[in-house]
Amino acid sequence: MDLNDEDLIRRVVEDGDQRAYAQLVRRYQSQLRFSLRQLCDGDQALADDMAQEAFIKAYKALPAFRGDARFSTWLYRIAYNLVMSYKRKKAPEVDQEAVDRAQADESVEEAQQLGMARDLNSAMSTLSDAQRQAVHLCMQRGFSHEEAASIMKLPLGTVKSHVNRARAKLQTMLQAWREEVVSG
Amino acid sequence: MDKFEQRNSNSLNNPVLQGKDPDFGDPEFDQWLSQQLQFNEPYLDNDGFCERVMEQLPAPSKRAERRATRVQYAAVVAASAIVVWQFPFGEVLSEAVQQSISLYSLVGLGVLSSLVAMTGGILAARR
Repeated sequence: MDLNDEDLIRRVVEDGDQRAYAQLVRRYQSQLRFSLRQLCDGDQALADDMAQEAFIKAYKALPAFRGDARFSTWLYRIAYNLVMSYKRKKAPEVDQEAVDRAQADESVEEAQQLGMARDLNSAMSTLSDAQRQAVHLCMQRGFSHEEAASIMKLPLGTVKSHVNRARAKLQTMLQAWREEVVSG
Repeated sequence: MDKFEQRNSNSLNNPVLQGKDPDFGDPEFDQWLSQQLQFNEPYLDNDGFCERVMEQLPAPSKRAERRATRVQYAAVVAASAIVVWQFPFGEVLSEAVQQSISLYSLVGLGVLSSLVAMTGGILAARR
């Protein structure tokens, strides 16, 4: 039976039911790990470690979760905080080998993708980190601007501006693909 | 919820894509871009990730455990009470007397079977 997030959280907090938490982990692991891979510049091992730590931290803090925001927003906020604080502390010690390996893997995957996906990735890579994250959260993950602002710890106006600028840039770069789709 | 449904519900619930946002740009482009981004995203297999997380979680709090145990005991007691309430003791006793079955052995058997049922219920609920 697929319970919603609120019911699962209630089971974890009130009954100490760890199986309910395992369901939440399974529900969000792919999305969170994928998002963190982007945030960690392709370092998959680091992204997975951060995602793991975020889930553990979220579990410990779950009794304090009041449900003001969605669980996914709250989880992303924890994960983004972890990555940002890691980046601040460990910036000079990035495992360049791991990054290169991951990027090489990605290049192989990218080569296998068709033109549209490749151009989309390439267009996304021209955006600034903040613009890419704002677009990822709002347009790929379905968070509202307010939720994205709370996750990224940025003012709402700044997030909107990132999304708008990124949208304009992507619209120009991907216009040809879109016209092709529209014209069939 | 599978990934496809999740993606679609993301898109449907997103105010950025629904035109509710005051800074809303070109709705068609936003919808198209959102679809492209979502459909190009690979699903990352669990591949032991969940298990690694679960291994590192602290044990559930004693309070939560005690609460769960209390709930289990309450359920067993309530079930037993219903059985006692509905069970036709009078008829069974009179039948036993008529059949000249020892009252003591009958009561003993009843108590023993109740204990076994309650213990089994508690053990099953705690698994």
